[in-house]
Amino acid sequence: MRRAGLRVRVVAGFAAGALALSATMALASYQVARQSLIKERERTAVRAAYDDAAVVRIGLGATTRPDVAAVLRVLDTGESRRALLQRQGNWYALKADEGSTGAIPVALQQQAAAGTASVQRIRTGGHASIVVAVPLAPGDVFYEVDSLRELEHTLSVLTVVLTLVAMGTAVLGAGLGWYASRYVLRPLRRVADAAQEIAGGASKYRLDPAAEPDLARLTTSFNHMVDELSARLERDRRFAADVSHELRSPLQTLAAAASVLERRREHLDERTATAAGLVTQEIAHFQQLVNDLLELSRSDRPAARTTTDVADLARQVCRERRLPATIVAADGESRWSVDRRRVGQLLGNLLDNARAYGGGPVAVSLRLDGDVGRIDVDDEGPGVSPEDKPLIFDRFVRGRSAGARADSGGAGLGLALVAQHAAAHGGTAAVLDRPGGGARFRVDLPGCRP
Amino acid sequence: MSAVLVIEDDDRIRLSLVLALEDEGYEATGAPTAEEGIAAQRRRPADTVLVDLMLPGIDGFECIRALRRAHDVPIVVISARDDTHDIVAALEAGADDYLVKPVAVKELTARLRALRRRARAGAGDEVPVLRFGDLEISPEAGEVRLAGTPVAVTRTEFQLLCELAEHPGRVLSRHQLLQRVWGYDGGDERLVDVHVGRLRQKIEDGEGAPRHLVTVRGLGYKLQR
Repeated sequence: MRRAGLRVRVVAGFAAGALALSATMALASYQVARQSLIKERERTAVRAAYDDAAVVRIGLGATTRPDVAAVLRVLDTGESRRALLQRQGNWYALKADEGSTGAIPVALQQQAAAGTASVQRIRTGGHASIVVAVPLAPGDVFYEVDSLRELEHTLSVLTVVLTLVAMGTAVLGAGLGWYASRYVLRPLRRVADAAQEIAGGASKYRLDPAAEPDLARLTTSFNHMVDELSARLERDRRFAADVSHELRSPLQTLAAAASVLERRREHLDERTATAAGLVTQEIAHFQQLVNDLLELSRSDRPAARTTTDVADLARQVCRERRLPATIVAADGESRWSVDRRRVGQLLGNLLDNARAYGGGPVAVSLRLDGDVGRIDVDDEGPGVSPEDKPLIFDRFVRGRSAGARADSGGAGLGLALVAQHAAAHGGTAAVLDRPGGGARFRVDLPGCRP
Repeated sequence: MSAVLVIEDDDRIRLSLVLALEDEGYEATGAPTAEEGIAAQRRRPADTVLVDLMLPGIDGFECIRALRRAHDVPIVVISARDDTHDIVAALEAGADDYLVKPVAVKELTARLRALRRRARAGAGDEVPVLRFGDLEISPEAGEVRLAGTPVAVTRTEFQLLCELAEHPGRVLSRHQLLQRVWGYDGGDERLVDVHVGRLRQKIEDGEGAPRHLVTVRGLGYKLQR
């Protein structure tokens, strides 16, 4: 099972904490409120019962054969109270109510009969009540049953309110957790953004350790790591650049000397002429290799976009290679915003590749689709085997299927440069199967609309 | 026959270039230092000078400036350095073209021929004086005047100005200018930008936006009245 995210866990934790806390508080306050309310109610009930008992005692003592019902009728018991009189074993009540005498606990009756006034909470008719027993004379006990229905209602309202408050607090806690986690994760998100920027090529991007003092160690180590990485990359790049650079001066001598040899070839004997021809050819390849290596070592430079007529450029590149310019077909707008030098080299390398491995290029199509410029170079060769497709744009890779023609002198850097030039434009290079046989090299360059 | 002076401190490169250029029909001479090169040019001016940037003593940039002060000779830099910074600095010092080592001899001679063609052009054409406000260009006399005062421009700068002046108000792309002024089909467009920059220092009053030689973003340059 996937582990819940940090954010989710923080939010859940805050919510649970808030709920536990508010539930405890609510429970405690409910208890305190209930106790004090009931005590208050009891006190009121007892006081009222004693007052009523005093009235009844006076009423009963006034005559020798008093009218009990009349005596009780004098009492103002209101809605919630009911007065009962137990006189020599008989029950008298103001309101005709069967159940009420049975509701009075026997223990209370016995206690009252023994002459002790007492109070007890009972349940009758589904509601809580308070029974107050006041002995008036031997054999006469005055009872008053005070219903707590109203109090119960108050308490149930209180329960609802407190539950809602607890739930609300939990939601609030969750919100707080969400906000806090967002706040805490913000510096981390900045680190993630920075990493993405750097991976995208912004190697100069660094974090400010002062921006978040608590995360200073993270930002410092992050910056340090990026420094180290870019230093290593820079060393690699410098090495390739230095090597190529150091090769340039001797190559200049070789190129000039080879041209002298080449010019005098017909004056040389056959063996020497063949050898001179080989030297001249290899120098040209060597020169290309050094130039490609230097170009690759400049991979970090962004594309210098200018408005360029790519159809014109493609035709020019074809002419330079003595290929018919008629193979170039442009669909729609052919003025693209691209790095002219890079796209020229990209086209040249694709054409050279088609010539070396694909039996010669048959079509160069250019199409501006929305913002994306698409370049397709088709050849009629054997195509590229599926296992070579993912590798073909790597450096110094020559396809297995192309091995037979490896003597054509391709240095194996041409397609790597194509991929690099595409990447400099934020685009991609891929190889597909051409419908009808052969390979189709496709380069997509975004941001081409001028 | 055209004379070429090769100022290059690497003996092997100098020797091989002199040999190859002689083979191509040039009268080539070599100089191992800037001092010797400048002296040789003063003694017997060559038609084109090739200069390496990394020279002992006076460096290539200073050498170009010294040559430029004394002569109106096409100067081509041949260097192993290909930083934009170096290229721009060399062109700003007064070089007409910049080639990165190793240069194929065929390419080198093609560029030398293009420079020579331009050097000869301008002479003999019957073109009237072209006026752009207070800027006067007389292609025939090879003269540029700003508010009546003659302005010293190099041959390449003059060619660039004439090319733009012959199409008043029309935008020429960097690529077109490379083709027409330098004679290259494709090449480094920074050549154009740097020469335009140098030309502006001479024909604009230096305050605010250029009045005559205007950049049209994404397209190229034009000369306007």
